[in-house]
Amino acid sequence: MHLTRHFARSVVVLAAFLALTAASVRAAEGTSPSPEKERELIALLRSDAPAAEKALACKNLAVHGSDVAVPELAKLLVDERLASWARIPLEVIPGAAADEALRKALDSTQGILLVGVLNSIGVRRDAGAVDPLTSRLQDADAEVASAAAVALGQIGNVPASKSLRKALPVAPAKVRSAVAEGLVLCAERFFVEGNAAAAAEIYDEVRKADVPQQRILEATRGAILSRKDEGIALLTEQFKSPDKALFQIALTTAREFPGRKIDEALAAEVTKAAPERAALIIEAMADRKETVVLPAIVKAAGKGAKPVRIAAIGALGRVGDSSCLSSLLEIAMESDAEVGQTAKTALADLPGEGVDKEIVARLAKAEGKAYPMLIELVGQRRIEAISALLKAVEHSDKTVRSAALTSLGQTIPAKNLSVLIAQVVSPKHADDAPVAQLALKTACVRMPDREACATELASGIEKSPAATKTILLEILSDVGGAKALNTIGTAAKSNDDKLQDTGSRLLGKWSSVDAAPVLLDLAKTSASDKYHVRAIRGYISLVRRFKEIPEPERLEMCQNAMAAARHADDQKLVLGVLKLYPSIGTLKLAVTASKAPELKDEATQTTLAIAQKIGGKSDEVRELLSQAGLEKVKLEIVKAEYGSGATQKDVTEVLQKQAGDLQLISLPDGNYNASFGGDPTPNTPKQLKIKYKINGKAGEATFAENALIILPMPK
Amino acid sequence: MSNKAKRLPRRQFLKSALSVAGAAAVAPTIIPSSALGLDGAVAPSERVIVGGIGIGNRGTYDLGCFLEQKDVQFVAVCDIKEARRTAVKKIADEKYGTQKCEMYRDFRELLDRKDIDAVLIATGPNWHATAAMNAAKAGKDMYCEKPCTKNIAQSLILADTMRRTGRVFQAGTQRRNLPHFAFACELARTGKLGKLKKVYAHPAGMQAMTSGWLIPEQEPNKEVVDWNMYLGPAAWRPFNAKLLDGFNFEKGGGLVGGGVLEWGSHCVDLCQWAVGDCPPPIEYNAPANGELMARYENGVELIYREKGWIPLGSCPVRFEGETGWVEAGDSGKLVLSSPELLAGRSVAEIGGYPATYHVRDFLDCVKTRSQPKGNADAACNAHIACHAANIALYLNRQVKYDLKKHEFINDEQANRLRSEALREPWRL
Repeated sequence: MHLTRHFARSVVVLAAFLALTAASVRAAEGTSPSPEKERELIALLRSDAPAAEKALACKNLAVHGSDVAVPELAKLLVDERLASWARIPLEVIPGAAADEALRKALDSTQGILLVGVLNSIGVRRDAGAVDPLTSRLQDADAEVASAAAVALGQIGNVPASKSLRKALPVAPAKVRSAVAEGLVLCAERFFVEGNAAAAAEIYDEVRKADVPQQRILEATRGAILSRKDEGIALLTEQFKSPDKALFQIALTTAREFPGRKIDEALAAEVTKAAPERAALIIEAMADRKETVVLPAIVKAAGKGAKPVRIAAIGALGRVGDSSCLSSLLEIAMESDAEVGQTAKTALADLPGEGVDKEIVARLAKAEGKAYPMLIELVGQRRIEAISALLKAVEHSDKTVRSAALTSLGQTIPAKNLSVLIAQVVSPKHADDAPVAQLALKTACVRMPDREACATELASGIEKSPAATKTILLEILSDVGGAKALNTIGTAAKSNDDKLQDTGSRLLGKWSSVDAAPVLLDLAKTSASDKYHVRAIRGYISLVRRFKEIPEPERLEMCQNAMAAARHADDQKLVLGVLKLYPSIGTLKLAVTASKAPELKDEATQTTLAIAQKIGGKSDEVRELLSQAGLEKVKLEIVKAEYGSGATQKDVTEVLQKQAGDLQLISLPDGNYNASFGGDPTPNTPKQLKIKYKINGKAGEATFAENALIILPMPK
Repeated sequence: MSNKAKRLPRRQFLKSALSVAGAAAVAPTIIPSSALGLDGAVAPSERVIVGGIGIGNRGTYDLGCFLEQKDVQFVAVCDIKEARRTAVKKIADEKYGTQKCEMYRDFRELLDRKDIDAVLIATGPNWHATAAMNAAKAGKDMYCEKPCTKNIAQSLILADTMRRTGRVFQAGTQRRNLPHFAFACELARTGKLGKLKKVYAHPAGMQAMTSGWLIPEQEPNKEVVDWNMYLGPAAWRPFNAKLLDGFNFEKGGGLVGGGVLEWGSHCVDLCQWAVGDCPPPIEYNAPANGELMARYENGVELIYREKGWIPLGSCPVRFEGETGWVEAGDSGKLVLSSPELLAGRSVAEIGGYPATYHVRDFLDCVKTRSQPKGNADAACNAHIACHAANIALYLNRQVKYDLKKHEFINDEQANRLRSEALREPWRL
């Protein structure tokens, strides 16, 4: 109990301390640490303040600490609770004092705390620590020796590398991986600093050592890169390795290798490697877009093992150019479906400014299988070739016509839209209709001026036979906008049952608020109950979905919906909307609704939920609750458990926090698991059991997972 | 995930993505038909053997995306919480109709397994970088949830480590594999908006945060909740169940952190992509009027702002050039300054955060050894842009960043916030 109180005080103090700290940093002029703040923090460390406060003082010394703070921080390096906090500033305070303190701590710490000190020395790259670190390489504790090895690698100078090289052949197996890691770090630094030969030497030593494979892979990569172009031979040697990991590291290294010679080498390897490996080498080639040897990929795409061809064809789609067009067109017409489809995809993507021009030129002379394929490409690549497509729409071959219609859908400009509408309204070939309809929809939804597009479609509807009207109305609803809404609204109120059906269905799923008046009108006037329900539900859906509707307007819409709805089920949907937007206004509506017998239960729940959310404290709310027959109560949560079977989580505290002066309790989240800090019994149905008192009378209730919590009045 | 995205078959997704974003959108799929058996099953040699580390709510979603892939075999789970270990094992075992998913409390034991090719890291943000570095050094490729790092130093080490070890790293920045975001970024990157002037990111909570101790509670049995492993690289503090919310615990780390990092690792990442995956901004200003303005070396402004967005769902971004602009959000919708920017194309709407395509991108790269969309370099730059903004927020003043030295210019306070010591015995 005492301990709890002590920490409670700590947390309170901590909160104030945090606010103070942030303010002090903000107030500090300039960009240097504040000596004044440092003095305060040191004083805190020297005091008998709780550990929690000292921890945060350490954190703040990361910003304000200097040599002056180092001795106090160093004292904490042997403290199991605070050592990790003390190393936060000690890693970043510049100057020799922190280095010396950490070095000194090598003798005063052991085990895991010593590992921490070693790690910090490594982060600081303290060159003066090489000797003591070297002696720690012999430590009987493998964790300590490993930490020393990595720290030496981070320091990465010649003495450090010498120590590690000496240790590599003799280190115990458990430490050898870290020694190799340290050496790879040293070699990397040597290479960056211009000593490639020394780097290569170290990499080679690690490659040949008895160390885990990952260290060998790192050393192999380094050995290749540090040799520059002379490393290509070592790289291609890995392509032949039976070890998949070495082959993979060669693929990775090939991608980052500088210069152009590597591209030639990769091209040569494609012809020598087994198919599954050649395919992967091609992927690596294609990732070197600036220097890729394209002819080698074109060649691989044309003939050979299928996996290699597939990889090469796909690669051309990413890095090819107009010089690859002929080859890809030929391949696209091959009988193998997978090969052909890969080529078609590549053609659709093929980069290069000249590609589109070349496709149009070929289209003019195309025949046979090439003709529809080129037409499809025009659409996929969004090439402007309307006259050629319009000509193709008249072709005797259905395949050509279908391709042309599809491509027109993808490319036709607004001024030619009537051509596609005509294809839908009166197709010359009946079996072209489905393709034409899809093409028209594709075209319409991408038109820049949707009102103009809708006007043209509406005009088409007037001229259409009954069956086609429905199709055009569907497309019109995808276009949206005022004209579309008006046209569909008119259809919904027409005398034609089919048009009413289509119109009301499309209006019911309309997704912009401007449909509200049309829907309300239809809901009020429709003689058909089916269409009324569609319209009223569409209307309620708009009120529910659009958060940006201003409050007065939403209230009016809810009132309208409540009045126009002919069924209690739909009125209950309105109650759901009220609950979603709690306010005095929605509370009033809920209270009014609670007077209707068929809505009483749901409306009462809604009333309570809204009151809970808006606070329930004002006179106005109290008055409204009273009107609804609900009074404020004195609620006390005695005990609450959540879970299933024997596994029960105590959630009393959460519920006590959420309980107000109503019988309803709103949780922070509608989901019980989220509100109660996790799922006590995953994948099992759970219950919430609450023992409580209302106005002093004891009650007990059980709720299914995620149910609304309304506590019954105890008898 | 939206129902629409759930329903959209992969092939259709790829087509949609390509139709709007060109070749930049999607990586190749590397499951040739020849690798599939007659029943459509993937040959053992083509399978990627996966283990999971820290699979909570988000991780379970990610896991679902992995399990959808025919070439994935999920074999092991590690979690410091027994309930989660058991729950994930149940999911995996039910998927395969076996009892073979192994459970671990210490992820190092999972990483020791030689049969595992890749890991899904979905711990709390406190562990992401440390677990990722350990995985790389153990020879595993990884899909790592965001935010991936706790500070600038970790971001740089992450990129260096992935390069040095040759491992494939995919940050959980799944919006890089969503077509409408890809298209918006493509418009900005390729000059379709004119000369790019401003990119906007939604940080969702622009305040500096810090973390400390809470009132000590009775520490559970470590088989049930291993508090020591939960703390991991975070400085020590006594057990308190409230801290077990991995989502909020040590999110930003150090003295700074918070919303800029949590959502910025998505939104700022998209802005980074829009500006061509260049290095992060070089100047970060104190927040004013709910906005924090940073500036790239080429003069483009990166603006972190809470308000002023067109309602397009969470994680909105906006890119403004001299002749046009585009805004996109999680609804899957785009708003453009002119429909002409669509160049005759319609944009597939895939809302929410479907990560399936991002997971697929990762798996393909595990096989090809190519770089996935959320690779370590991209993640490093985006995270530095977030951490540096957090430092400007915390100090409440301008900071300037030297891209070559990766340090703040003449600014000792800011420089000291670039890193934070890890609790023993952890190191990067």
